[in-house]
Amino acid sequence: MIRVPPSPSGRGASVLSDILMSTQSRNRSFKDAFLSPGLGLKAAVLVLLTVLVAAPLLKVFGATLAPGAWSAWSDVLASNLSRNLFWLPLANTMILGAGVATGCVLVGGFLAWLVVMTDVPFRRTIGLLATLPFMIPSFATALAWGSLFRNARVGGQIGFLEGLGFSVPDWLAWGMVPTLVVLIAHYYSLAFTVIAAALATVNSDLVEAAQMTGAGRRRIFLGIILPVALPALVAGASLTFAGAVSNFAAPALLGLPVRMQTLATRLYGMIEIGQAERGYVLAILLILVSAFFLWAGNRVISGRRSYATITGKGGRAKRFALGTARLPLFVAALSICVLTTVVPVAILIASSLAPSSSALFSDWSLHYWIGASDPAIARGQAGIWNNPLILSATGVTVGLGVTVAFSASLVGLLVAFVLARFRSGFLSAAINQISFLPLLVPGIAFGAAYVALLGAPIGPLPALYGTFLLLVVAATAYLVPFAVQTGRAVIQQVSGDLDESARMTGAGFLRRLLAITVPLAIRGLSAGALIVFVKIVRDLSLVVLLFTPTMPLLSVLAYRYASDGFTQFANALTVVVLVISVAATLLANRLQAKSQPWLQS
Amino acid sequence: MIQIESLHKQFGSYEAVQGVSLSVPKGAFLVLVGPSGCGKSTILRMLAGLEAPTSGTIAFGGKTVSDGGRGWVIEPSRRDAGLVFQSYALWPHMTVAGNIDWPLKVAGLDRDKRRERVGEVLDLLGIGQLADRYPNEISGGQQQRVAIARMIAPKPGILLFDEPLSNLDAKLRVEMRTELLRVHRATDATSVYVTHDQVEAMTMATHVAVMNGGRIEQFASPGELVVRPRTAFVATFVGTPPANLVPVVNGAYCGRLADAALAGRNGSAMFRPEELTLAEKPSDRTLTLDYAEASPMAGRVMVTGIRGDLRLTAITDSLPSFSVGDEVHFQLPPAPSMFFTPEGVRAQ
Repeated sequence: MIRVPPSPSGRGASVLSDILMSTQSRNRSFKDAFLSPGLGLKAAVLVLLTVLVAAPLLKVFGATLAPGAWSAWSDVLASNLSRNLFWLPLANTMILGAGVATGCVLVGGFLAWLVVMTDVPFRRTIGLLATLPFMIPSFATALAWGSLFRNARVGGQIGFLEGLGFSVPDWLAWGMVPTLVVLIAHYYSLAFTVIAAALATVNSDLVEAAQMTGAGRRRIFLGIILPVALPALVAGASLTFAGAVSNFAAPALLGLPVRMQTLATRLYGMIEIGQAERGYVLAILLILVSAFFLWAGNRVISGRRSYATITGKGGRAKRFALGTARLPLFVAALSICVLTTVVPVAILIASSLAPSSSALFSDWSLHYWIGASDPAIARGQAGIWNNPLILSATGVTVGLGVTVAFSASLVGLLVAFVLARFRSGFLSAAINQISFLPLLVPGIAFGAAYVALLGAPIGPLPALYGTFLLLVVAATAYLVPFAVQTGRAVIQQVSGDLDESARMTGAGFLRRLLAITVPLAIRGLSAGALIVFVKIVRDLSLVVLLFTPTMPLLSVLAYRYASDGFTQFANALTVVVLVISVAATLLANRLQAKSQPWLQS
Repeated sequence: MIQIESLHKQFGSYEAVQGVSLSVPKGAFLVLVGPSGCGKSTILRMLAGLEAPTSGTIAFGGKTVSDGGRGWVIEPSRRDAGLVFQSYALWPHMTVAGNIDWPLKVAGLDRDKRRERVGEVLDLLGIGQLADRYPNEISGGQQQRVAIARMIAPKPGILLFDEPLSNLDAKLRVEMRTELLRVHRATDATSVYVTHDQVEAMTMATHVAVMNGGRIEQFASPGELVVRPRTAFVATFVGTPPANLVPVVNGAYCGRLADAALAGRNGSAMFRPEELTLAEKPSDRTLTLDYAEASPMAGRVMVTGIRGDLRLTAITDSLPSFSVGDEVHFQLPPAPSMFFTPEGVRAQ
């Protein structure tokens, strides 16, 4: 007996679609009443996304247009304040973006080329190490830089190098150069991942075909490899550009002390001192800058010459022999990886143990970890194990991570399901667009938007500012694009042939759910949820504006401690964040047996 | 034109090519055929200069181009050879015309000569209207033609093909066989063609090397392979349908059906499908198998039976009315047309 009619969209069958379809066929009158199947579901998802994502963005825009607030635009863009308010920060932001994008493509591209196309030794290790820096929050790298290179210019403790007797020049200790270096060290792994994945699809036949013509190495590189990899280079550049202009932690820790402002730090400052409308205007401008470059990068990649998928049968991997350059290039690659992963983490750990950051490796004590309050050290702050504020921050941070991991995964699965089940139609298109909107919005601007939306009471609803709920809602909305991607992958794994072949055996819905759907989906779902957890635990830019002392978060506390000169506390807290996120990331990798095609021989 | 002398290729502990020697004259169409992993593609890549032999030599027109013993290999571009890859390896960022033009540009031809030559080969392959398209905008068969056009544009003396038709559907494959032979004749070159499909080998080749386990089982013309297979492997690999082998134990087929003509030997007897007939009843010259399939071909019918390891095919004149579960009685001719020793080599 066949109970299930063919689905109108052919495939895309899945758990929920089963419920719908079998209900339809079992109960005709119900189906007839339900004129356009899925309309209700689609509308509900659209409303949910609108509230989560579109509403804060519209609200922040609306807030700047309100009577009385309108002048914020002219203050920012055309007044005697605008040079310091907007144009100088914009210039710094663009320099950072361009510099970081260039550096990341060079470093990430170099490592990707080595790992994917050459016979460099320990390729797997380098490939793995090169993906790690992105897991270390950028404020951790920035703090580590400070512990090493801080000089006496802004007062407070000096760093390790000055402690050794070197004189660190200002340009190396503060401002643009260290910010650039720290951001490149953080974002190059993003470029690496994108470029390595693209190079891995370059069939070595393409290179051999060029060798057959007699072209030299240089000509093959410039004429074949580079053009084929160009879309990936552009993608890497635009992603890292957007990342750099949105980054708050590095310019705030390394630039603000010497008054180097970016749009992100300026926006933070405006909202902190109560000039919310000016802050909102800056947030809108920051969104425009970041979104423009992502959009432009995407335009270059898509188009007629998008050649990601060319017939690939029979391709074999033949590695480029480096010859005598093999060892020097290996050492160079390893140095890059170690300097951006092991070294900053080691500095942070050492610094959290050393009484003075000018002597990182002597007189170690656990005071900053477990010490009781001592008026002689750090104005009587107790070690983090005895500090009620920090303990509660740990609880809030982990609680937030877990809650958002669930809520975002749920929203992501729901959206992905609706998109897979109902592909066409205006509502689906709108759902698709809105669900990816947060990708274009820098975290700090998104935070500002939520301050604008929920910072004040809406009708009978109380203001949510300072509540756990606000953090959950904002973080969930911010991670919707990522969660949707995970959801899509899960639904793809489960839907279609696998479920249909189980249905052909006559297995009922519940049985298929337990025997096919759940076992296939559980790993992907939990890995996705874990990564959401990590993203929240180590996030600073989104939550820095939503932070209140009643709802402390580890990353914000670390930032505050660092700004106040309590370097060791900041570093110790950062180590806690690192440990939590690394443990969760490793678990997630295990769960999804992470696919890294460029590491396969 | 092409001389290969005791060629070996070792990958780690795996010996992919184990002492291959052959030579073909100018204008020959040499096909290397065999199951996957038999070493045929490795030989082709050594001919192209993309791999170096572990030992042995390759010479083109009397000039040594690879010498494994001395670790000496002439680079691919200076061998006067072109290669069509199984994946086609079209450069995705160049148009069809750009793909064909690039090798000429590298060779240093001036613009007018290049334009003229690109036009010529586009016409030869009948793809002139695709010149400005990108590889991802054309079909598999068209990509195949572009790959061939790109190879022949610099007028190489040796054309190398690595399973070029394996990504095409059956009908297109038949068409492209003819097309490839036309190109081969038009260019007056010597071709080496690698495939696992014996039909391609039998229809296209002037010379065939049947390969198995890194060695040549037999090197001969297609006709010779069918008429006088040197080994049991060749007998069951070539021909449509291939020949039948019946095991012989102590002078009896399958150890049961004694035959004085076998004179007490062991090994296997070869019967061509057209030599077997179907009998109504079992007799002392029939082997009984279970009916497997029947398929009409060219006005006659191919009937196959199977039992245990034994699989026999006979050609009959009309479609028999067997159904699954029936037994088929294959009638043996008075004597096998060939006999192979237990080692699989043809006995005199």
